[in-house]
Amino acid sequence: MATSPDLENRPATYDNDPTKTIVETRNLGKVYRDFWGRKKVQALKSLDLEVRRGEIFGLLGPNGSGKSTTIKLMLGLLFPTQGRVFVFGKEATDVSKNERIGYLPEESYLYKFLNAEETLDFYGRLFDIPADVRRQRIENLIKMVKLEHARKRQLKEYSKGMTRRIGLAQALINEPEFLVLDEPTTGLDPLGTRDMKDLILRLRDEGKTILMCSHQLADVQDVCDRVAILHQGELKELGRVDSLLKIQDLTEIHASGLTDDAKRQIREIIEKTGGKVDRMDNPTTTMEDLFLEIVKESEQRPGRRGGRGGN
Amino acid sequence: MRLNPDHFWTYGEWLFQHNALRDGAILSVVLALLGFVIGYIVSVFKHGPSEGFLRVSQIIGQLFTVDLPKMSFRRIYAVAKLAVKESIRKKILVLIAIFIVAMMFAGWYLDPDADSPARLYIVFVLTATNYLVILLGLFISCFSIPADIKNRTIYTITTKPVRPLELFLGRVLGFTAIGTFVLATMGLLSYVFVVRGLDHDHQAASLDPTGRAGETSFDSRHRHTFTLNSEGRGTTNEAKGHRHIVTKVGDKVVVGGPIDDLTARIPIYAKGLSFTGRDGEKNEGYNVGYMSEYQKYIEGDSLSRAVWRFEGVDNSLFKDVILYDLTISAFRTYKGDIVTPVGGLIHFRSSDGRVKSEDEPFKVKEFQVDRRSVRTKLKGFIDDKPADLDFFKDIAADGSFEVVIRCQDRGQYLGMAAADIYLRPADLQFWWNFVKGYISIWLQMFIVICFGVMFSTFLSGPVAVIATVAALVLGFFGFFVDNLVNTTSKGGGPIESLIRLPTQMGSQIDMELGNETLQKAITFVDRGILLAVSQLKNAVPNFSQLDTANFVAYGYNLFGGLLARHLTIAFGYFVLTALVSYFFLKTREMAA
Ligand SMILES: Nc1ncnc2c1ncn2[C@@H]1O[C@H](COP(=O)(O)OP(=O)(O)OP(=O)(O)O)[C@@H](O)[C@H]1O
Ligand SMILES: [Mg+2]
Repeated sequence: MATSPDLENRPATYDNDPTKTIVETRNLGKVYRDFWGRKKVQALKSLDLEVRRGEIFGLLGPNGSGKSTTIKLMLGLLFPTQGRVFVFGKEATDVSKNERIGYLPEESYLYKFLNAEETLDFYGRLFDIPADVRRQRIENLIKMVKLEHARKRQLKEYSKGMTRRIGLAQALINEPEFLVLDEPTTGLDPLGTRDMKDLILRLRDEGKTILMCSHQLADVQDVCDRVAILHQGELKELGRVDSLLKIQDLTEIHASGLTDDAKRQIREIIEKTGGKVDRMDNPTTTMEDLFLEIVKESEQRPGRRGGRGGN
Repeated sequence: MRLNPDHFWTYGEWLFQHNALRDGAILSVVLALLGFVIGYIVSVFKHGPSEGFLRVSQIIGQLFTVDLPKMSFRRIYAVAKLAVKESIRKKILVLIAIFIVAMMFAGWYLDPDADSPARLYIVFVLTATNYLVILLGLFISCFSIPADIKNRTIYTITTKPVRPLELFLGRVLGFTAIGTFVLATMGLLSYVFVVRGLDHDHQAASLDPTGRAGETSFDSRHRHTFTLNSEGRGTTNEAKGHRHIVTKVGDKVVVGGPIDDLTARIPIYAKGLSFTGRDGEKNEGYNVGYMSEYQKYIEGDSLSRAVWRFEGVDNSLFKDVILYDLTISAFRTYKGDIVTPVGGLIHFRSSDGRVKSEDEPFKVKEFQVDRRSVRTKLKGFIDDKPADLDFFKDIAADGSFEVVIRCQDRGQYLGMAAADIYLRPADLQFWWNFVKGYISIWLQMFIVICFGVMFSTFLSGPVAVIATVAALVLGFFGFFVDNLVNTTSKGGGPIESLIRLPTQMGSQIDMELGNETLQKAITFVDRGILLAVSQLKNAVPNFSQLDTANFVAYGYNLFGGLLARHLTIAFGYFVLTALVSYFFLKTREMAA
């Protein structure tokens, strides 16, 4: 079934170079089948990528492009139908790798009849964390995700944003080295989104590796070091965010408190120095442009991989 | 209730003499092979022959290298606690309320005219509890994992370092804890219900002029007669399965509460029963053609005898008197005097036959327990010379002795089985026997939970319920498989039949293949297959065997050996279901 078994079967590089690769996928593919083994959806087609230590890696793609599928394959929630995944140099189905992973699912699939403390306590026990450490961490995490006021309330009473935050706290209970966030900002208000992004950056600065997927392009642009763009299960783009976006010879001016007169003057200055004002309004995110372009391109010429940014 | 010989095997006898250990080992091997083959076939379909083999071996290998050694009690406890909370949230405890209501209604409907109200009450509470608790186990266990998969909470579980066995153990532990709580509550309520339901008072209604005998008032639809001794103490006769203690205080006669209805006799049974025929030669006992499967008969007024051999009877259990119960029956070849029961003679003798007690006559009490006793200081014969004997010094010096019964009436027969005579040292507390009855129910619940959790690892909730019930029904009819296995002897086993069919060889003629070694090999393999099949039926539990309600209801002590057997069986199912669950949890794609 595999297309390049030799490549797949070489030893995982994590062992060789522990400073670098956290996740490695090789020719990874997934076909969802129904009960009778008939093919339903090809959700992922021969994906090759690496997540390196200490980076924030973004998986981008429209709905149904295979982002969550990729993440589930990495966590061993799904088994590949083609290729292999290694996490920390171990097969994704190896349970022991979970000790060092934190996972926030698409929706927070938590037990609705537990309250915040019980939830964290339960997951803490699953990591075999001793009671005193557990208590300390629960305290810190509840404070960190700002749920002090709701710590004794059952999760079924929680709003979407609160659920998201307890989900994140749950993913951090084991102080993971590697954090997998499936759409961390959905359901959060702008303030909450900001908090979440700050938190992700802070965790990265603490030395954690983060893999997140999203279709909130602004988020990805703000926090990710590298991104992979998926469309219909195929990898379309892989590279550093800055280099992916750099090609566009654009100048962005962010300013506030400008009067119309001042705007006119700035326009004049640009034109006087030989520049041309293409547009000057509230800027759309440039990631969005890139994204839309890739999707459009990919729909026109399916299967081809664009070649914008370097790795 | 009839006690069967297998009821009083000791644990060791069951394990070794009656092949439980051997059968268990065979079953384990058969199941392991079967599991491996099925797993391999499935794996080959998915991954191809060599990769498939590798995967199956990996899964088995990991069980011993990581999944068992790295098990953590903290994780199991966390899963168990969650299971408890989940069950409580499902309002499982409402079941207790239903039970209370059921008992209140039952209080009106249980027939107060029954011969033995105690039996009725006990059977009712035990059966009701049994069914309710099995249902409880069924429903809490079958829906939990499927709900986790449906709500996808399983995503947050299996991405933690939780091992498949921990998921199984935690669930089983949690549900068993909930079940135990419900069962204990029901047990307590039942006990109060039985004791209070049976409690009643009588007044002394009349006393005859001697002041020694009288009749009680008519209460709870019965009355008793009583006799008093010179000190003014006595008991009533037995009515509706109980008696009362009667004491004379001054001029007043006081009748106490009911006794003897809630008992737990600890019978000491004979190790064996042998017969001699009318000519004095050893035989198997006579068959009288009906009900003869259980009891065998001796002929009246002849040399025909029944001899029970007792071994290792501890003399410290008895003081001045040895109580024993007799439940033998009579078979009349002619009506004779229908009011006079058939009579017999009983005596005790030492193993070597040199010392024996005097014959004591008795009359057969059909369908009743004849409560008898013999004094430890008794008259008898040593080498046929009359002598005064001490039971435990002269007759049963090393704890072994024999009981000999013969029938006095010419042409009549007495029927008996090994369990029809037993010694009765002091009774055990009834409540303890009652608790043991509940332990039996607990074991059934535990097995149901194990099977429910196991099926729910690969089936949806409702299907898992059906599968568990199907397993129980199959277990109940397991003995049909025995029939099947025993009756296929004609025409050989499966392989021989496979040869006979296409060659149109009738089952009456011997198979003739012209090669003796081959023929022997086929017979050998066939025997193996049949043995394997006959053991396979034990892979599903037979609850009718685990049902011990009658022990409690009929007031027999539930033997420790029997309970230990049931415990072992339950443990066997626990291991079996754990392994199957391990396999499915390990190989299941949780997000598919
Ligand atoms: N359990 C499943 N069974 C069958 N098909 C599935 C299953 N899960 C996902 N799919 C299909 O696989 C494809 C990829 O789905 P996936 O959930 O990975 O997308 P996604 O990129 O995460 O989308 P979104 O942004 O909406 O979360 C989709 O076409 C989806 O319908
Ligand atoms: Mg998704």
